[in-house]
Parts: sequence; structure tokens; C-alpha cells
Amino acid sequence: MSRYATPKLGAYVLLTALGLLGALIFARPELALIALPFAVALAVGLSHARQPDVRVHLEFDSERVLEEDEVALELELDARDSASRLELLVEIPRGLELVEGRNPVALRLERGEERRLDLRLLCRRWGAYRLGDVHLRARDAGGLLAWEQTLDRAAPLRVYPRPEQLRELVTPRETQLFTGNRVSRQKGEGLEFADLRPFAAGDRIRRINWRASARRGDFWVNEFHAERNADVILFLDSFADARRGGTGTLDQAIRAAASVSERYVVDKDRVGLVNFGGVLNWLRPGTGMVQRYRIVDALLNTEITLSYAWKEIDVLPRGTLPPKALVLALTPLLDDRTVSALLDLRARGFDLVVIEVSPLPFAEPPPGRSGELAFRLWKLRREGRRSEYERAGAQVVEWHDGTPLTAILEGVSASRRHARVRV
Amino acid sequence: MYGTLEADRVAVLVLALGAGSVVLLVCGLAAPSPPAVVGSFVGVAASWSVSAWTRGSGAPGGTILAAVGIFVAAELAYWSLEQVSVVDEPELLARRAAGLAIRAAAALALVAFALAALDLRTGGGLLLEAVGAAAAVALLALVLLLARAGHENPER
Repeated sequence: MSRYATPKLGAYVLLTALGLLGALIFARPELALIALPFAVALAVGLSHARQPDVRVHLEFDSERVLEEDEVALELELDARDSASRLELLVEIPRGLELVEGRNPVALRLERGEERRLDLRLLCRRWGAYRLGDVHLRARDAGGLLAWEQTLDRAAPLRVYPRPEQLRELVTPRETQLFTGNRVSRQKGEGLEFADLRPFAAGDRIRRINWRASARRGDFWVNEFHAERNADVILFLDSFADARRGGTGTLDQAIRAAASVSERYVVDKDRVGLVNFGGVLNWLRPGTGMVQRYRIVDALLNTEITLSYAWKEIDVLPRGTLPPKALVLALTPLLDDRTVSALLDLRARGFDLVVIEVSPLPFAEPPPGRSGELAFRLWKLRREGRRSEYERAGAQVVEWHDGTPLTAILEGVSASRRHARVRV
Repeated sequence: MYGTLEADRVAVLVLALGAGSVVLLVCGLAAPSPPAVVGSFVGVAASWSVSAWTRGSGAPGGTILAAVGIFVAAELAYWSLEQVSVVDEPELLARRAAGLAIRAAAALALVAFALAALDLRTGGGLLLEAVGAAAAVALLALVLLLARAGHENPER
């Protein structure tokens, strides 16, 4: 603990000194008498001042919560030595909000006393928080000396984005070899009827289509579409972000990525993640609950890191982007590196869907005619980029803040179905 | 105000000093600014001293009330300044109020005892000068001690 003199000590010393010196110089006893209580308060206060010894333990009732959930923070104070006035402040990071309890708080602790303080925090924004820097400031009984200490009691708290209800997902064009919930174009074991063919040695009796066999005078068997899983790669652009009022395109993209990844994992698909930004992160495709938590944990640590280094798809390790995978890109289309990387992916034959998290709600045209003109040019350039993707055969859909993600995904699915019919 | 009423001469000066100090105190608490608070108490003490000076030698009986009043006002002022950052819990508030009452009573007794013991009726004298000199030396030592303590904590 670092000790320092409070302004009160300085003031009392000054008042005492001026009073006594004034009495001496002007030969006036009143000044000495006025200074007397201050002098005695100084002498008694300083002689009884002791450094307090307080131990603090901090704990959350849950380490993993969802956005808009409340979490209880328990602070246990154990006073090894008394503290006449102890000010305690728990640093609460942005994104969490105190809804119950007092912070900071000033209290008195007797020697050997144990006190429990409960705070309730509302998790306003997703993120991986390390809450727990506790600032202590203790004063002696006279308020003349103070001791300060910052305790690093880092308690981790992971706030997951609340998943959105999704009615439909973007169906990958190609499926993989493993069993899943997707109807494959290949024939095999499954439930969806595909075709009829003449009976062959080895066919099971239960697969014979009796009605077709009776009509044709020979045995015919049903064929089915195999049920397979698919590989889905979530491509998150974290080069740039448009923000306003505590929310931005990255928040929107991460919420969407968390919701979509959860649904694909539930559907037994293999889901991977490429976090393409100043700091490059990736997760190889996988399935199951473990993979779901891995993805969400990776998303929580996502932040915009300023970088001027040019990055291309080649920097990603093999296996991160498996062949025939559906690449679902979430990008505000603000950085040329992402634009180029996505076009590169499309050129390599990946099934690419670009969900453009629109930065327009977060941007305002600069004042004046030239500002308005610049804004229009910027919007035209964005449209040009969209056309570039469409020419390359990738689907681009614009997603404005406030529109449900499920509506966007349904739109993409419907468009892909029509495209298939046209082909 | 009491000093102005008691003053035989220059009552306007006493009133101006007192009123200026009160304004400074209000500003110091509102700002909040500890130096302004100190300045206001120096002004109040000076106002009372000028008032006492106009009445000739010797400490008047009202000095007890003035000394205790200034002390209690200073304690309350610094208590208020502490509340700016963090407000006391009700339990702590009650204990501190009780502590302040005890300190005020002790100050009252102390000043009354000092008046009686030193028989301060005739202004100045060898005894008062000796007390003043000793106190000045002690204060100088205290200031040096605090300055050294400050140097021992370079992180501050």
C-alpha cells in the first residue's frame, strides 16, 4: 500500500503553523487558541494512524453468461487490521453495467471483521471480460493519512452473444462424406426419394417399389438421396469497423456469426472460422458442442487491430478452407484486402455468399456539397464492388442494422433456389 | 458576524474578511478545492483576530467559541470533500458524526482549559512567546517528517 498525506493534513499543519506564528509575531493569544485544536488533532491523529490490512476476494456466480443476462459479483472483505474508512472501487469494464449494489462504497471495518458485498451486473455487450481490478483507499480515523492500493483480482467473465432465432440457413451447394442432415445430390442411404432403377442382385426387398414393379412387369427398386453433412466456413472481416453510439458493424457480424455457427453445428455440419483482419485467426472445421464453444470463444476475442500489411488467402494454413465448403462471409466491405481475398476464394471455386454488414446506418454524409458528393461516390464504389462479386458468381446481400438476420438468410436461400432452377 | 458585532473599530474590515472567507469556503466545497477551503479558514481566523485586536490586549471569552467553531467547520468541510468521491455508508456516517461530536467537545474543553491555565488576560508575555516558539519548531520538524515520508513513496 502506498501512503500519502491527505489535503486535510496539509491544511491542519498550515492552520496550526500560521496560528502559532501569528500569535508569536503579533503577540495575540487568540490565534494560538484557534490553532490549538488543530495542533492537538494533528498530534493525536498522526500518533494513532496505522496502515490497514484488508484482504479482498472476488468471485462471479457464473463465468459464462449470455448478453442481457445479469451476473452476481461477490466481494469478500477480510480485515486483518481495522480500517476507519475504507473506500472500495471495483473497476467495471465497458459493456457491463451495475444494476444493484454500491460501487464505489465507503465503509468501516473492525479488526477481524469479515464483510460480504454483493453487486449485480447487467451484461450489455458480448465479450471476454477480465473484471477485478479493485482499488482500495483507506484513511486513518482523523483523515490525515491515506493508503492506496490496487489489487489485481482478475475474474474472467465470458458474455456470449444472444443467438438469434433462425428459421432457415443458407444451404451449401456441395455436401461432404460424413452423415448429416443435408440431402445430398448423390444417391445412397436416406429418406428423400431420388429415382427408380431395375432390381439388381443384392438389393434389399424392402426397397422394391411394388406399384412400379406391377406396372412394368419387372422388379424396380427406389433410390434415395444420401444424407450428408457439409463444411461451412464463417469468414469474418475484422480489418475495419463502422461504429456509432456503442454499436457497430463488427458487433452485428459477431452476433450473426455466433447465431449461424450454432445452427450449423446443431445440423451436424462441420463449421470453421476465419477471422481475417489485422490479427489473423482461424479454426479448422469441426463439429459438436466443443467446436461451437471454440468458435464463440474465438469470436469473443475478436477486435479491430489496425494493420497496413497486405494479407491474402495464401496465409491461411491448409485444411482451414476444405474443398466444396460454403464460405459465408460477414464483411462491411470497407477494406480492399477482404474484397480481394473473397474474390480470390470465389476464383478458387468456393461456394461464396457475402453478407454485407452495411456501414451506412453508422455513417453520415459530411456537411456541404462536396461532402455529399463524396458520400454518393463512396456509395457508388460500394455498389461497384457488389457488382464485381456478382460477376464472379458470388451472391452478395446487404444487411442493415435492425433487419432480422433470419430474413436475410431466407432471402439468400430463396435466391439460391431460383438460381438453381434457372440453371 | 459575531466578530463584527464584537469589534470596537474597523467592523467593516472584519465583516469583509469574514464574508470573503465564507464565500471562499462555499466555492471551495462546490468546486471542490482543498486550497480554497484552507484559505477560507485562514480568513475566518484572521477576521476573528482583527476583531479581538480592536478590543485591546487579552483573549476575549468568545475566543473559545470561535476556536471550536472554526475547528468543527474545518472538520465538516473536509468530511464534505471526502463525500465527493465516495459517500459514506449509513453506519459509517453515524460513527463519524459521533466522532466529530467527541472531537468538538474535546476542543471546547481544551481551549477553555488553555485559557484558564495560561491565564491569558494580559496579552503576550514570556510564557506565550515560549509556547509559540516551541510550536513553530515542532511544526517545522513535522513538515520535514512528512516531506521525507512523501519521498519514500516515489510511485505517488
